[in-house]
Amino acid sequence: MLLAATCALAALAVLAAPAQALQLGLEEPHSPNAESISTAYWVMIALSTFLIVAINAVLIIAAVRFRERRGREASRFSAGRGALRPVVGVLSLLALAIFIFGVVITADVREVEPSGPEGLSAQPTAQVGVKGLPGAGTVETTEAISDDAPTAASPGESAPLEINAIAQQWIWRFEYPGHQPSSPAFSYGELVVPVDTAVVLNISSTDTLHSWWVPSLGGQVQASPNDVSQTWFKADEVGRYPGRSTMFSGSAYPVMRSWVNVVEVTEYQDYVRQLADDLSAAQEIVATEQEKEAAE
Amino acid sequence: MTPPTLSPGRPEIVTRGVPVARAGWTERATSADHKSVGLLYIATALVFLALAAVEFALMRLQLIVPENSMIEPEIFSRLLSASVVTLVVLFAIPFAIGLIGYIVPLQIGARGVALPRLNQLSYWLYLTGAVTIYATFLYAAPETGTLALPPLSDTTFSPTNGTDAWIVGTGLALGGFVLFAVNLLVTVQRMRAPGIAWRRAALFSWAGTVACSVLLIVGPAMIAALTMLIVDRRFGGVFFDPGEGGAPLFYEHVGYLFLTGAYLIVVIVAAGIVSEILQTFSRKPIFSHSAVGASLVAVAGLGLLAWMQSMYIAPLAEGWTIMAMAFALALLVPLGVLFFSWIATIWGGALRLRAAPLYALAAVSTMACGLAGELAYSVIPVGWALDNTTASQGDTLYVLVGGGVFGGFAALHYWFPKLGGRLLGEGVGRLALALMLVGIHLYVLPMFLAGLEGQPVDVFEFFGDTGVDALNLIASIGAFVLVIGILVALGNAAFSWSNGLPAAGHDPWAGATLEWFALSPPPPHNFDAVPDVRSAEPLHDIRESVRRRAESWRPPARLERPRPAAVAAEDAPEPAAAATETATEPSQERPESENGSGSAPVA
Repeated sequence: MLLAATCALAALAVLAAPAQALQLGLEEPHSPNAESISTAYWVMIALSTFLIVAINAVLIIAAVRFRERRGREASRFSAGRGALRPVVGVLSLLALAIFIFGVVITADVREVEPSGPEGLSAQPTAQVGVKGLPGAGTVETTEAISDDAPTAASPGESAPLEINAIAQQWIWRFEYPGHQPSSPAFSYGELVVPVDTAVVLNISSTDTLHSWWVPSLGGQVQASPNDVSQTWFKADEVGRYPGRSTMFSGSAYPVMRSWVNVVEVTEYQDYVRQLADDLSAAQEIVATEQEKEAAE
Repeated sequence: MTPPTLSPGRPEIVTRGVPVARAGWTERATSADHKSVGLLYIATALVFLALAAVEFALMRLQLIVPENSMIEPEIFSRLLSASVVTLVVLFAIPFAIGLIGYIVPLQIGARGVALPRLNQLSYWLYLTGAVTIYATFLYAAPETGTLALPPLSDTTFSPTNGTDAWIVGTGLALGGFVLFAVNLLVTVQRMRAPGIAWRRAALFSWAGTVACSVLLIVGPAMIAALTMLIVDRRFGGVFFDPGEGGAPLFYEHVGYLFLTGAYLIVVIVAAGIVSEILQTFSRKPIFSHSAVGASLVAVAGLGLLAWMQSMYIAPLAEGWTIMAMAFALALLVPLGVLFFSWIATIWGGALRLRAAPLYALAAVSTMACGLAGELAYSVIPVGWALDNTTASQGDTLYVLVGGGVFGGFAALHYWFPKLGGRLLGEGVGRLALALMLVGIHLYVLPMFLAGLEGQPVDVFEFFGDTGVDALNLIASIGAFVLVIGILVALGNAAFSWSNGLPAAGHDPWAGATLEWFALSPPPPHNFDAVPDVRSAEPLHDIRESVRRRAESWRPPARLERPRPAAVAAEDAPEPAAAATETATEPSQERPESENGSGSAPVA
């Protein structure tokens, strides 16, 4: 056991050198939901670390102190009736406390906050014309993740910006709410969103299972082909946040990455308008080409 | 020896049809004896442990530097798809089954198992399944990931026959395990020796029973899901076809139910092993026999109900995830009672630090790391952040290596003399343990940090811009040390099987449970006679009563005539010696065997 303990310490020592430069927490949160996740992480990792250290310490002490030595007789006691009752009591209370903490913090993560003062102003979700998803998805399944996500905003507040994020092997497609349904705006790989704005993502997939995860902006959400899951974030700072899929989806799965580019509101509006214009221009070109081909 | 002659006037009593043990391999392959089948299970499972370790090392070799192109993505996907099924279905479960199938009938004082042919069939189904899975490397190995989740395992994305073979092979192996579970549950229910009430059954028998019950729940469910998958793939089914109204989520549920069950089996069987070893080597009864038994049952029940704890990111209604969190957190109570009982068992004892208890302590320590980590991931937001990252994967590996490998080798060190009459090499065993302990921590800790940085599982490459280069390098080195340790431990077992030191007697550790009452290795019928069982430690009772009788023995009063001193000295310890022989080394040649009518013939 001493040997084992020494080895474990040696392993820790080897680790200590590069570990100094590393973070011990999750990636720096830039959204209220990511902040709550980070809180949950710190509380639970502290508790787990305490349990791990305590159990291992007591185990090593017991094994060293009560190892066989000359003259030592094992005292053959065992638990009397109800001897474990305090242990069960303490553990039950601890489990209950963690459960209550878990429920509260989960609700906290799910709750969509209204957009801030610098964010995009009210955008009625009803006009989102691109909600119908390719594949078998229907809007009925939207309640899958949270009942209170998009509709919770009371009339006085601005509704969150709803964007469809659709996964496929091995890239994300983001569909922005267009200014008019006739000219859709979508992009691949990189999602551009306005700062300080509540963004609700409707996440689905057109082929296999994938997952959406941008660590700075919240937790993972599975993208399934016939369900629409929702998540949200409100980025507090302009910047480019990397993300990646965490569900094995075939041979090129590691390149299933994504980036969220958080920009100022005006920049976002320009970007979407530009996207829509470019796309309609491209479609016109395609249409004329097709007409030409048909004529020939 | 003179040939028997016919002597008229005296009836001749001859036994006919007693099967004679055949030459090595034939006997091994055809015997329905639970010990023979158990050994086959253990040996095969250890071969697959070596394979899983090598696959793991290869994958870590690929991940040693960023954007490495040493192993092609397709090859990596094949290794990945093979490695988890190898570790869980072809090593962890069958290894536990081998130990359970060998030891539990002995512990309950049975002369065999209830359904020996079913037991035998279960092994051959397992082996057929394993060969089916590995034969795919000859034509088209599957690239469907660890659990073959549809739609990725549909014919659209995985058109090759290899995926079919993977599904069928896994199903066959699971079918075998279910048959084994049926056999074992019938055996423990019907064939316990008189006096072995459940409260007196050895804790490893408890663990084996609970583990088989878990297997009986998750096994058929997973077989059903695999069947549906093969129907989808080859017979036009739409169970999991999203385009046709199928539900891939359903397969995910069953798949995670199965993986949770396998995880629990590893934990429960390791708990049983640790309980036995700590009792024997600290020369104390377990702190609370009933609490440990009840905790094993509770771990199984609560753990199974918490299967959705692995699915927090899936599209589930909110209530389901909360329910899963409640059950997962409730596991804290029985698991805490287990850890408390183990430490309280060591406390006040005299722990002989041989290899077996060292492995058991390493199993407790490593499982504590894994299970406490799992507690953190049970809280939904933490799961959202860290599920499917190398952090949670490392945590799972703590439990699989801590329970399956450390616990498994603890059991091997403990029961090796029983299996073959020889000791498993101590020195090399300790070296292997040190290597594995260094390796597992050196692998998991950097992987935990990389998971915090967002490294997902199952990737064949990581990118230089994600800041996890150094971590992956250290983790790879740790993985190599771990794999070397595993291979050293396996080599040690292979070498010691025929070349190990002979064990000191049939009961080298002075065990308290009935398996140590049998010879080492036990004869086909296990016991000539089974002692009266009046507690959870029947052999300890026998030793105590022998000791008491020896202490209280006085020369009978009527022997008043003085005798020569030498004769008296020779005479005095005789009853004790005779009784000890009955207790620890039941003689095979005892003329009147009390129970000659066991399931196997008396040799």
